[in-house]
Amino acid sequence: MKHDPLTDEVLALSLSEIAALSARATRGAGRNWGEAEEAAEAACWLARAGLDWAGALLEVLQHPAPQTDCALRIGIALADAAALSSPTRNAHLATSSPCFLLPFVARAADQTGQKIRLTVADTQVVLAPGACPLIIGPICISRQARVTITTDQHDSPPCPAWPQTHHGAIRATEYAQLTQLMMAFTVPTSAHSQAGAGAQEDDND
Amino acid sequence: MSCEGLNPIPQARAFRRSPDEVMRLARMGCSHPTRLSFLRQLLRRMQAEGWRFDRPVWQIDAKGVGRAVYRAIGPTRTYSLVAFAHDLPPEARSDRVIATAWDATFALFDGTPDAADLDRLAANVPLQEAGRISPRELSLSRANRSVRLFDHVVERLATGVQPDAAMLLETGYLMRTTAVYGSGKFGAADRASIAGRPELSAPFQAEMLSVWLTRAFTVDLVEHLARTRGGSKAARLAPDLRRALGVGNSTGLGMAPFVIRHPVLLNNWMLAREEALARVRAQTGVGAAELAGFLAALNAAQANAEIWTSSHDIQRAKLADLREGLAQISDHVAQHWDQNTAHPWDDLWRWGQEVLPLEGQEALLAAMLEPHGALIDGLGDCMDANEDAYFPINGAMQIGELRAILQAHYDWAIGVDYTEPTQCARFWYVSEDKLEPRLGERHQEPGAARELPLDTGRQAAALWQALQGQPEDMPVAHLLLETPEHRPIVRRAQITARHPFAEIRDNLIAAQMLPIDILRCKLAFFGATRFDPRSDRWVRISLFQDAPYPEEMNGGDHEA
Repeated sequence: MKHDPLTDEVLALSLSEIAALSARATRGAGRNWGEAEEAAEAACWLARAGLDWAGALLEVLQHPAPQTDCALRIGIALADAAALSSPTRNAHLATSSPCFLLPFVARAADQTGQKIRLTVADTQVVLAPGACPLIIGPICISRQARVTITTDQHDSPPCPAWPQTHHGAIRATEYAQLTQLMMAFTVPTSAHSQAGAGAQEDDND
Repeated sequence: MSCEGLNPIPQARAFRRSPDEVMRLARMGCSHPTRLSFLRQLLRRMQAEGWRFDRPVWQIDAKGVGRAVYRAIGPTRTYSLVAFAHDLPPEARSDRVIATAWDATFALFDGTPDAADLDRLAANVPLQEAGRISPRELSLSRANRSVRLFDHVVERLATGVQPDAAMLLETGYLMRTTAVYGSGKFGAADRASIAGRPELSAPFQAEMLSVWLTRAFTVDLVEHLARTRGGSKAARLAPDLRRALGVGNSTGLGMAPFVIRHPVLLNNWMLAREEALARVRAQTGVGAAELAGFLAALNAAQANAEIWTSSHDIQRAKLADLREGLAQISDHVAQHWDQNTAHPWDDLWRWGQEVLPLEGQEALLAAMLEPHGALIDGLGDCMDANEDAYFPINGAMQIGELRAILQAHYDWAIGVDYTEPTQCARFWYVSEDKLEPRLGERHQEPGAARELPLDTGRQAAALWQALQGQPEDMPVAHLLLETPEHRPIVRRAQITARHPFAEIRDNLIAAQMLPIDILRCKLAFFGATRFDPRSDRWVRISLFQDAPYPEEMNGGDHEA
C-alpha cells in the first residue's frame, strides 16, 4: 500500500490485511510465531470491536523482549488457563497496554461461559461470551496501568451489538511503523528461489 | 460447519479412506476435479436458481482498449465483473507476480456499479497491487492474452473463417489470469463479510464467478476485434470451439501456504470428497442412469487425457500413468466388473486400489462421483469453515492426551531426523520485494532464521520431544507458559484431533517435496483441468473448459 509518511493520513485495512500485517510485524519485532498468531487474532478482534487495534499492537511491540507486564503474554496465559478453573476471579495485574488484554479476556469469557469485568482506572469493560465489549468510561485504556479482572457480578447493561463493519483505520505513521517491523522478518528473494517460480522470459506464447 | 450429525448415510463411514492414505503429497498431487469442485458448485447453483446475465457496458475500441461490465443477477443479489482492456506492448507481457501491466484487469463488484464506481475502479484496478479497491469489490484479477492463439483467432474470424480447431484445443484458452485475489486482499471485502450469503458460502465462489465471466469477456473481445477488422465478413466463433475454451491461469507458490495455514478448511474439503466417495462405495447396486453417467465420465476423462499435454518430466510420466490407468478402468468395467455383488462400486474401487497407479485411482474417484449428484451434491454445503472457532487452544488438555494425538495423527512426522540435511533442505519465507511466499534452500541461502511456520512435521517432532518426561496430567497451558514456541503445533494438533484431514502428512521442508503436489490438490478443488507444471513450483491450468457460457445457462442442455 502506498502512503505519504509526511501527511498522517488514515488508511483503511481489511481484516485479512490487519491479520497479515499484525502477525508479520509481531514476528518481525522478535516474538515467536505462537505470539505472532495470537497478536494477529487479537488485533482483528479489536478492529471488529471498533477499537484502536494498531495503537494497541504498537504499544505491545515497543518492547522487543517480552516483559513480565507484556499484555500479549499475560493475555495468552489468561486465555489458555481459562478452561482450567476460574483464574479470572479477582486477578490483579500490572500491564503496559491493557487494551490488548481485552481480546484474551473475551476468549476467557467464551471458554468459561461467564461474563468477565475488566477494570482499569476509571474504565470498566464487560466481556460476555461471544459479545461485543461493553465499555463504561473513557475508551482510552492504554498506557501502563493496574488491571483488575473479575467475574462480573453486577447487573450491567446488555453488551452492544457487534458493529456492522470493522474498524480498519490506521494512521499512516502507524502503518509505516508496523510495516518496518514486518520487513524485519522478510527475506530478500534469491536468484535461486526465483528460478522456477514463473516464466523466465515473457508471456507471449 | 460440521455436517457429521446430519449425515443421511451413516453407514458410509465404514467405507471412508484413512487420512494416512489420503493426506500424502504423492496422492494429493494426483487429484482430479470432481462435481464437488468449487466452479461446478457455482454453475449448478446459478442454473438451479435461474440466474440472469447481461452486459450493460461495452466500451471497447477498435484496438481492444476500454471497459466492459458483465452482470450476474441472482434471486437476491447482483454481482458485476468490471473489465478493463489495455493495449499492452509484447515486452511488458509477463505472467510473474512482479509484472506491472496486463492485457486486461478485472474486479468483481458487489451490485451494479454506477459511473462513479467505474471511474474509481478505472483509477485503481489496472494498477492491481499498486492500486486500492474497497469492500464493494469481492475480487481483483488480471489476465494476459495467449498471444499466438488470440491473434490467430481474431485473424481467422475477421476473414469469416473458423480458427484451427487443433490449435484451439492445444492451448485451450484465449487469456490466462496471473492472479485472482479475494478475501480482503488490497482492500477487497473480507471473506467473513460475505460468507453468510448462500451463493457465496462455498469456498472461492466470488473468485470462480469472476473467472467464469472473464471467460465470456475473452470470447467477446476476439469477436469484437474480428468485427472491427473484418466488418460484415467477420464470423462468430463456432459454438463447439467456443465451448472448448476455458480461461487459463498461471499460478505459483502462493497457493501452497494457504492450504497449510487453513487446516480446518482443508479438512472440510477433503472430508466432503472422501465422504462422497464413501457414499458411492456404500451403494448396494448400480442403477442404469448411474452406469451411463459413469461411462460418460470415463470417456470424457479419456478424451481430456488425450488433449492434456505437459512439457514437465514429472507431469508427462503422470499423464502416461493416467492414460494407462483410464484404459485399464475401461477394460475392467467392460469385461470384468460384476455389478451384482453386495457393494459393486466398492468392489470396483478396491480393484482400482490394487491395480491402478495413483493417477488412475484418483481419476476413478472423480468418475465414480460424477453420476451420483443426488447422493453427494449436498456435501458442497460442508466445505466452508468457521476457522475462528478453532483458534483458541484448549489449555486444559492434559499432556497425556496431547501425546496420544501426536501418536495417532503425527506418526509420519515424529520419527523423522530433521537434522538430516535432506529432511530440512527447504525453508518457506516471505519475500522482501513482493511479500509473497517463497521456498529457499536452507543449506545454500541465507534467511532460514526468518522461516515461516510451515515446517509442520518438524514442529510436531519438536513438540513430541518437549513432551518427554512431562507428567501425563499436566495441563497444556502450563507447558505453553514455559515453551510458547510450541503454540502453533499444539493448536494444529488439537485441530487435527477433531479434523483428521486437516494436515498434509508429509515433510514440507524435505528436499524431495514438490510444491506442485499441493497446488494440484487445491486447484482440483477449484475445478481446474489441464494441470501443466512448468517447474516444481509453478503451473498453468485451465478453468471452465467445456462449461456453459452465461447465455447458455438457462434452457440449455448442459448440466453443470
